Amino acid sequence: MLDYMQFVLAPQMLNGFAFGIAIVLMALGLTIIFGLLDVINMSHGEFFAIGAYAGVVLLASGVNFWVAVALVPLLMLPVGVLTERLLVRQVFDSADRHTLTLLLTLGLSMIFYDGLKMVFGPNPLRPDNPIPGGIEVAGVFLPAYRMFLIFLGAAIIAAVWAIIYKTSLGAMIRAAAFDRNMASSLGVPVSAVYSATFAFGTALAGLAGILLAPIFSVFPTMGHEFIVIAFTVVIVGGMGSIKGAVLAGLLLTQVQAIASLIISPVWTDPILFGIMVLVLMFRPQGLFGRLGHG
Amino acid sequence: MLEIRDLHSHYGFSHVLQGVNLTLRPGECVGLFGRNGVGKTTTMRAIAGWIKQISGSITYNGQEIGGLASNAICRLGIGFVPEDRRIFPGLTVEENLKLGLMQTAGRSGAQEAAALERAYDLFPRLKQRYRQMGTTLSGGEQQMLAIARVLVGDQKLLLIDEPTEGLAPQIVDEIFAIMRKLKSEGHAILLVEQNVKRALDITDRICAMERGRIILEGDGNSQADRDALMKAIAV
Ligand SMILES: Nc1ncnc2c1ncn2[C@@H]1O[C@H](COP(=O)(O)OP(=O)(O)OP(=O)(O)O)[C@@H](O)[C@H]1O
Ligand SMILES: [Mg+2]
Repeated sequence: MLDYMQFVLAPQMLNGFAFGIAIVLMALGLTIIFGLLDVINMSHGEFFAIGAYAGVVLLASGVNFWVAVALVPLLMLPVGVLTERLLVRQVFDSADRHTLTLLLTLGLSMIFYDGLKMVFGPNPLRPDNPIPGGIEVAGVFLPAYRMFLIFLGAAIIAAVWAIIYKTSLGAMIRAAAFDRNMASSLGVPVSAVYSATFAFGTALAGLAGILLAPIFSVFPTMGHEFIVIAFTVVIVGGMGSIKGAVLAGLLLTQVQAIASLIISPVWTDPILFGIMVLVLMFRPQGLFGRLGHG
Repeated sequence: MLEIRDLHSHYGFSHVLQGVNLTLRPGECVGLFGRNGVGKTTTMRAIAGWIKQISGSITYNGQEIGGLASNAICRLGIGFVPEDRRIFPGLTVEENLKLGLMQTAGRSGAQEAAALERAYDLFPRLKQRYRQMGTTLSGGEQQMLAIARVLVGDQKLLLIDEPTEGLAPQIVDEIFAIMRKLKSEGHAILLVEQNVKRALDITDRICAMERGRIILEGDGNSQADRDALMKAIAV
């Protein structure tokens, strides 16, 4: 029993935790973009993939992994700004904005997806683990890179929370999320806040991409695969809720990790979707409220 | 200061503003009166840049502001206290108030702190409740917050839409006292108010609106003009 805990359950939960943190980074971007702009960003998964591939390219051209981790989110910023300015903004004021932005970002995701496949080929690429090895605590082996991912991710999540809830920039974002006209009439540069937030969400997705690259490797369909979980997390946590994205992200990935010990891993996704369906049936707004809505 | 010429606006197929003409001079308080649904709020929103489908001209100190973004209009010195107060729910009283600081660019931290302090002096209840969520305030307190939030900026023209709607008489008195004070400090005010009798105490000029047009304009201190106004807007 103890052996099972030590060698099977604990490592599996730790894996799930590292994965969960990365999913939360992705879900945060998704939920903030939805909470503020009311846009369901279907290309978020491809932003994640682009981040991972950008990392691969940087590493292949001799850039140090840690530098790449810092560079990728920065490189993603212009991708986000351009997507927001050139595409989302064009249909933002139309009456059927929801449908249009959804289709627009879905189309964009297809272009990115095929683009990545054309440039990099269909086969997975896997960057070397930047910190191999690990330490043993109470008989449980803690892989160093996963621990690093957990700490860095947690720090970023905490920073995002602090920016949104404790700074005047965050107050601007929350105000604009609730009432764009009133915020604008008080001098908040709403359109710049939109671009910046979209870019910030994009950068978080890219960061998740490069951070997960050494663990899950990099392949063209990765965006599709991870976005489904990220969307589930956002729906369960509450569309537009930061707290919800964090809690649901960590919880659902644990459910997935533990369930895959008991049943075949292919059945873990249906369990997540089952939870999502239950939440949608009994609490359609998700576990927590939307950004800026009290 | 503010000059509106032949302003038209549409919501879909309904032609809400049908050629509004309105002038406001510095330091002047103009009352805009009319029955429900005649377009008073729409006029205010058009000035504040909330409504984009407008034609005609709105100039502020000679500059055309029709079609500008609301934040650009705000930066020119126009403050807006809208009809339904529009307190941000996820923000505390203080966060709501501090957001108002953004109306005026280029002030030092000390100047901004002084502006906040002035607002709190004017509305001591807000100071007592500064950490509370804005929407947990009572209706009257939310109205005070909406006014205070605009006052922390250095705005010259205030658009105030139905500030006493649904409030207790004592709060109504307080709000009118504040507006009188603002006027004496030199703010120009465009006021929409259902409580016409009270509003007449502070208005220099009065306008009656009917179906998207100003149908009557007069001197707020002339009894004949007041009578004409009451007749024009009588139900
Ligand atoms: N968002 C909207 N969409 C469609 N019609 C609208 C909208 N807002 C207002 N209207 C219509 O425009 C007309 C003018 O409305 P407005 O709010 O300007 O009136 P008001 O004079 O402020 O009335 P009240 O005294 O009730 O506040 C009304 O007939 C109203 O139904
Ligand atoms: Mg109105």
